[in-house]
Parts: sequence; C-alpha cells; structure tokens
Amino acid sequence: MISPPVVSRLQQIVGKDNMLYEREDLLVLGYDSTPGIHLPPDVVVYPTTTEAVVALLQVARENGLPVTPRGSGTGLSGGSVAARGGMVMCLNRMKRILEIDEENLTATVEPGVVTLDLFNAADEKGLFYPPDPGSQKISTLGGNVMEDAGGLRGLKYGVTRDYVMALQCVLSDGDLLRTGGKNVKDVAGYAFKDLLVGSEGTLGIITEITVKLIPPPQAKRTFLAYFNDMRSAGAAVSRIIAAKIIPATMEIMDRATINCVEDYVKIGLPRQMAGLLLIEVDGHPAMVAEDAESVRRILEAVKAAEIHVARDADEAASLAAARRTALSALARVSPTTLLEDATVPRSRLAETFGEIERLTEKYRLTVGTFGHAGDGNLHPTVLCDERDADEMSRAHAFYDELYAQVLAWGGTVSGEHGIGMAKKGYLARQIGAGGVAVMQRIKNAFDPAGRLNPGKIFADATEQDDSHEE
Amino acid sequence: MKSDARIGNFTPRDAPHYDDALQCMRCGFCLPTCPTFALTGRERSSPRGRVALARAVAEEQLEFTAAVRDEAFFCLDCRACTTACPSGVRAGEIMEICRSQAQSFHPLGHPGKTFREFVLQKMLPSPDLLETSMLPARLYQRLGIQWLVRRSKVLKLGADWIDKAAGMLPELAPPLRKQLPTIIPARGQQRGRVGFFLGCVMTLMYPHVSRQTVRVLSHQGFDVITPREIKCCGAPHLSEGDRETARQLALKNLELLMAADVEAIVTDCAGCGSALKEYEELLEGLVPTETLAAFRSKVRDVAEFLAEVGLRTENLIPVNTSVTYHEPCHLCHAQGVSRQPRILLSQIPGVELREMNESSWCCGSAATWGLKFSKASQQVLDRKLGNVAATGAELLVTANPGCQLQLAWGVREAGLPQQVVHLMELLGQATPQ
Ligand SMILES: Cc1cc2nc3c(=O)[nH]c(=O)nc-3n(C[C@H](O)[C@H](O)[C@H](O)COP(=O)(O)OP(=O)(O)OC[C@H]3O[C@@H](n4cnc5c(N)ncnc54)[C@H](O)[C@@H]3O)c2cc1C
Ligand code: SF4
Ligand code: SF4
Repeated sequence: MISPPVVSRLQQIVGKDNMLYEREDLLVLGYDSTPGIHLPPDVVVYPTTTEAVVALLQVARENGLPVTPRGSGTGLSGGSVAARGGMVMCLNRMKRILEIDEENLTATVEPGVVTLDLFNAADEKGLFYPPDPGSQKISTLGGNVMEDAGGLRGLKYGVTRDYVMALQCVLSDGDLLRTGGKNVKDVAGYAFKDLLVGSEGTLGIITEITVKLIPPPQAKRTFLAYFNDMRSAGAAVSRIIAAKIIPATMEIMDRATINCVEDYVKIGLPRQMAGLLLIEVDGHPAMVAEDAESVRRILEAVKAAEIHVARDADEAASLAAARRTALSALARVSPTTLLEDATVPRSRLAETFGEIERLTEKYRLTVGTFGHAGDGNLHPTVLCDERDADEMSRAHAFYDELYAQVLAWGGTVSGEHGIGMAKKGYLARQIGAGGVAVMQRIKNAFDPAGRLNPGKIFADATEQDDSHEE
Repeated sequence: MKSDARIGNFTPRDAPHYDDALQCMRCGFCLPTCPTFALTGRERSSPRGRVALARAVAEEQLEFTAAVRDEAFFCLDCRACTTACPSGVRAGEIMEICRSQAQSFHPLGHPGKTFREFVLQKMLPSPDLLETSMLPARLYQRLGIQWLVRRSKVLKLGADWIDKAAGMLPELAPPLRKQLPTIIPARGQQRGRVGFFLGCVMTLMYPHVSRQTVRVLSHQGFDVITPREIKCCGAPHLSEGDRETARQLALKNLELLMAADVEAIVTDCAGCGSALKEYEELLEGLVPTETLAAFRSKVRDVAEFLAEVGLRTENLIPVNTSVTYHEPCHLCHAQGVSRQPRILLSQIPGVELREMNESSWCCGSAATWGLKFSKASQQVLDRKLGNVAATGAELLVTANPGCQLQLAWGVREAGLPQQVVHLMELLGQATPQ
C-alpha cells in the first residue's frame, strides 16, 4: 500500500486525470496478454512528459516504490505486470510523433506511439518502417523496443533492434541517459542503446526513440502455398533459404490455426489443408519476378498441394492481416491459450514440426502452431483450460520437453516475446548460470536498488523451473 | 448451454457466463475500435477491461460495485469490439447482461423505480398505450417532455438531456401501426411472402420511412404481412437491464411471427433486427431450440433481405445525388450487415456513393446513452460529423431510427448541409408509385 502523502505527490506530478487508484482500475491493469498472470499494482500513473517521468522516479526512490513500465499491455511474457506491486507507469499517453527527418531518414517518437501509426506516418512521406509485430495496431514503440519485437517482415528486414538509432532513457534514480543519435556509425564507448533494446523495462524508462527509416520496396508479390503435412512446409522454408532467396515474409500456420483464423476472417482459407505458408517477396520489380519464379519452383519440388498468388495489393494485405490474428483467433477454441516462442536454426524447422507433433500426441494435447517460419521462430500454442490442473501440468511437460530439444539444437527459449515473468526458469538453461550472473551485475549497475520492473527475467532461488506457474 | 459453473459475486439470475469472460485472451485487438476507450483512455472503459471486470466479479475478486455498474451502462453496446475480436468475445453483450445485475445490487429509489417500471413494463409493451400517450403530438412534445423530465431520474439521464431530447424529436405524425394494412399484396410477378416487423420508434417518429419500406417490398414482388399485435422488440428493456420484460415481449412476438405464414421476417430498424436475431440467446431454455433456430433463420434487416433476393432494378427511377453511408452499430456490428446496404446504394441509378472514414464508428446515440452521457455523446458525434463533412456528399444515409435522430440533430446543430435519410426512403424515392 502507498501512503496518502505519496499518492498526493504522484498526483501533483501527473495531474488528477493521469492517475488511477480505484480498485477496479487496478484490477484491470494487473494483466497483459500472458495467460495466468494477474497482479494488480497499488497505483497507476500516466506521465505525459520526460520531466514527469524523472519526478515520478525520484518519488519512487525516496519511498522505495517498485516501478513497472507499461505500453499497451500486449506483451506475452508478463513484462508489464507489477510483480511486486507499487506503481505501474503507463507510457501510452506519450504518443507524439516528434519528427520525421527526411534528410537523415529517421523518425523520432515518444514511446507511446502505436507501431502502425508510425508506419503510416512514414508511409505518407514515402518512407518505410518495417517492424510489424502481429499486434502492430495496438502495441507501442516503447514496448516494441523493450521486447525487441519481431514481425512478419523480420526475415528480410530484421527486428526492432535493427532500426533503433537513439534512445532517451530515465534511469532508476531519475537521471537521464541519452544514447545513440542520428549517426550511421558510432563507436564511442559501450553500446548502451543495444543493451537497452530488449531489456524489458528493467534498466530504465524510455521516453524518446529515434528509429531508422528506409525506402519502401518498389514491388512485391504474395503467395499462399498449401501443404498436406507440416514437415514439407518446414522443408520448403529450409529449401528457399538454402537457395539464397530472402523473401520479406515466410509465415506458417497449421490446420488448427487456419480453421480458427478462417472462422474469424472468412476469406476462404482451405480448412482441410495441414498447413500453409504465406510468402512475400519484395524489392526491385525485376528481382521480384525472378525470386517469385524460384520460390514457385521450390514449392513445386517439395510438392506443395496448391499455390495461390494474391491478385492485388488488397488481397495481399488481407492475407497478412489474417495471419496477424492467428494467436487471438486460436483463443476461440479454448478458455486458455498457452503460447510459446521457440526458435531454432532454420535448417531444423522440419524436425521441429515433427517434434511438436510427437509431443502433442505424447501429452494428449490440442496444439495450434503458427509463426515466423522464415526466422525459425514458432509459436506452438496449447489450447487448454486453466481450470483443468491435469491438462495444465501436461502442457508444462510438453513445453519442458520441447525446449530441451530446441536448446539441444542450438535454439532459443524466446525469439521475440522476452523472458518477463513467464520464462524466468528457462533462462539459465539457455545461457548458463554464468551468463545469468553477468546479466545480474549489469542490472545492478543500472538499478542497484532493484526498483525497476522487479521480478522479471531473473528467477529467485525459489522459482527455478516454474515457468508459466506465476 | 454453457456451464454456469461460476457465478461468483453475481446473482445467479441473468449472470454473465463465466466461460464467455474466460474467452478473452487480452490481446487488445478491440482497444482501437472502442468509442468509450477512445474518450477516456481508461482500461476499464475498454472491452478488454470490461470483460476483465466481469471476470473479476465471477472470480470473487470484486463485488458488483458501483464502478462495475457504471461501466456496464457507459458501454454503448455498439459491438464494435465484437467485430474486432478474433477470439469471438462479445464484450457488449456481457455488459448488457451486467446491466440486469444492477437492479439487484444497486436498486433505484422508490419514485425512480416506479417510473422506470411504468415506462419499461407498461408503456413500451403496450403499443396502444404508447401511441395514445404520444398522439397529441405537439402537446406531447411540449408537455410530455416536461413531464418526463421531472421524473427522469428513473432512467438516470444526464443533466441537460431534456434540451437535447426536445431538439431531437422530429415533428410527430400519427402512428403508422394504426394505418398500415395487415396485408399489402405483391406487385408484378410475386416472389414470396414476408412479415414486416414495425418498430416502436419507426411507427411513431418515422412512419414515412416504414411506409416506403413496405411499398418497396411489395414493389419488389413480396406480399407484406404486418401483424398489428406485434410488441416492442425488447431492445430498450435489454439496454436498461430489464431482461425479464424483454423475455415476455420476445415470447409474444415469437409466437405471433411463427404463426404468420411467411418466409422471412423483415425490419427496417437495425435495433429491432438485432434484438430479434438475439431472441435465440434471450429465450434459451424457455423455447425449444429448433423453434428458436427456425425463427432466427427468418429474421432479416430489409437491406440484407433485398440484397439476398436481388433487387429488381428494371423500373427504378434515377435519383441524381451523392450520398455517404453511416453504418448503424446494430446493423454492421451486431448483425454483420455491412456490404448489403452498399450493394443497394450502388444499384439505385444516379446515386454516387462516397465512403466516409470510419463509417462503422458509432454516432453516439445508442438508445438512451446519448441522453445519459450527453457530453460524451457529443464528442462521439463530432468525430462522426467530421467524417461526414469531409465527404462533401449531399445526403447522409443510414438505416436505423436512433442513428437518424442523432445524426439529423447533429447535422442541424453543426450547420452542415447534409440531409439525413433512411436507406429505404432513398430506395422509396427510386421506386415508381
Ligand atoms: C495478438 C498478438 C500478436 C503479437 N505478435 C507479435 C509479433 O509478431 N512479434 C513480437 O515480437 N511480439 C508480438 N506480440 C507481443 C507484443 O505485442 C510485443 O511484445 C509488443 O512489443 C509489446 O508492446 P506493448 O506496448 O504492448 O508493451 P507492454 O506489453 O505493455 O510492455 C512490454 C515490455 O516493455 C516494457 N515497457 C513498455 N514501455 C516501456 C517504456 N517506455 N520504457 C521502458 N519499458 C517499457 C514493459 O515493462 C514490458 O516489460 C504479440 C502480442 C499479441 C497479443
Ligand atoms: S475482447 Fe477479444 S479483442 Fe479484446 S482483448 Fe479480449 S480477446 Fe482480444
Ligand atoms: S460495445 Fe462498444 S462501447 Fe461497449 S466495450 Fe464494445 S466497443 Fe466499447
């Protein structure tokens, strides 16, 4: 609980309309999109300026208050949930696009700008901001930077990290740190910017972001390829990569996902197919034509059941939009959707599908799998009911075994959703106790009192292997 | 039937299903579509937040507090979130059900209660009473309104609602219900027989619109049967949280309409249409499932119906004008009818359709919402009018009396040049006498 004088100081800083502490408000800000995590904070503030963020962190320091930054709460690892109570700081009212610099090809924004809004603003100026997570209509750039979000175009264009050029960050004691700039090259000392990207709000609060923009591709072509089994879909991905073609997008959906998405979008996806790949090649028109031809030949060679080329840009856009709803659409089937973020080297894709199939049977589960196949980043999603303890424990066993295999193949436990609260137990398995210790020393250097987003990334002694069981 | 496994802090009667709340996976796809979230930026005024509140009550983390009640009533029930939600969550409906919980947890004081009961349980269910009370139109507009105001605590309307209500009412004509022949025969080659569901607001405030609707239907080759004894569809009751009266009305209407030997039950009021289509859920367990399904399969909005059977366009008279189309929430979001009105518009010779931005964003009327929250309603309306103005179209077409009232008023107040018409008025104009 926070004492009344502290509450009134917070209110002085942000103003009455930018602070919430009624029980109902706290209850609905105790979750993000991660199932099974619900921990209401003690107070919620919506700063609208960097100065306010500084002042809020000073109050937090003086009173020992934990601070959990939050964007739109679409995170899938519990990152923006107040694990230790205290203050949730929502940055989504800082949503101005401050500048689009056409001479340097950069955009500078406040952290609460919605991803798609930046894309559109850049597009209006004939520029392109590629990162496009499935949640792009809702998620904020602050959240994207802190999770290093990927997206449908990650294969060719990379992830959020590849576009961040500068950050303004308020540290846990209220000091300001600016790192990076509009320089294309910059090796002045440690790369704090790169450390901050993907740090899940544990090192500082981001209040300004400068990203790189690029010229948009001149042409593109979109395909849907249908398969009678997931393994050949996986093989198609590996073969395309091996042929040294880098499409912008190679997204995969299995039958369960196709059906759920079709229930929602009703665009005539074939329900009986085992899987589909959404492939988009873009770039110079001549190269697009050539790549499209090579992709088609490979798809035929791996015996894709059918290949469909999008008629026009509208159809291509609606196919991508449909893919973006995959996770939410899977939630139609069952009360709880436990999603994972397993990522493997791309040569292992076909085997990974085999493994998922085997484990689905072994643990008698319903699983829908979709993901950024071109990145080797899959989201096997267990469709279950959190009220069924037995089913939940089988689901956890499924992930344990799957991750053991993924790690053995040199994969990672998180391709894009972060560790947060959900996957703390897995981190040491991937990077070793030594790796975790170095990370903790860095955390201490930035935030010695452990006030910023406590309870994330690092497992306490008591919570070694209990992922998902917060 | 879904399991009622968990009622938690709800009263068992008319509690939301726990499973429906669990269905939300909190992805936030609904957030950018919710008008009340756009106004307040407050999570609890968003679909995701509202479902979470219902879930918290079901899980006994929260009582049915005043804030929960307020959110249930602050929700426009516009269902934009239902359209947006890939997981199939129906936040608007969950809130509608929560409204009926408000009676048990936060009962109104005595005078308010009596009046509310009078309006919802006596006046609306009885077309005769409703129509007599409205008959001396001008008198009603002067005296009736004042009378309503004095007692308006009932519906908990906002402070300045009266001016707005008085300003919104069109000139009243005699109710259509009394005049419409029970059977209007098809013209030209007969294509079928339809029942027409005449809504309360349509008969009283827009009789000229419904007159066009039946004329168009008959001209299109359908016998049109309008049962006189039809009751209010129950939408106002659902909106005010009186599910019990709504159910009784629904039972009567269902019986009456199933007895009529018609292929389709057609209405030109989007609010009535969606209420009728949702009898299936409302009467679940009270009427055999097959009957409910049979009824449901017959109900059509008139635009949906005409697009489905195909408009006979041979004799249509050109209407040379430009129009923009506002989609009523209860048509596009509640009934999923969005393409069909546009198809009809494109088939009227001479009509040029200019799409407005955000055509399916609520106009801010939403039954009594616009009167209860007049300031918020104005903000929602302003956004709509901005989009209307930008099209520069001559006519603003819509398909629901509530929207038409609100838009006509808004356009007038804002001094915009557009005339607001119902789609059926326009089609009526194109239909030869
Ligand atoms: C349907 C759906 C599809 C998705 N698809 C993808 C996808 O394709 N790719 C992908 O990578 N992710 C995806 N996600 C996950 C999620 O959308 C991303 O992680 C997103 O970047 C989170 O943004 P947010 O604004 O919601 O942040 P939040 O969830 O609110 O926060 C995320 C993290 O960032 C921190 N944070 C937020 N703002 C700040 C700030 N200004 N300063 C410091 N820390 C901050 C929080 O503390 C938290 O740790 C998806 C999620 C959903 C629900
Ligand atoms: S209501 Fe639907 S769209 Fe909104 S958060 Fe829940 S699942 Fe997502
Ligand atoms: S029905 Fe409309 S107002 Fe209510 S929660 Fe959904 S979008 Fe918001």
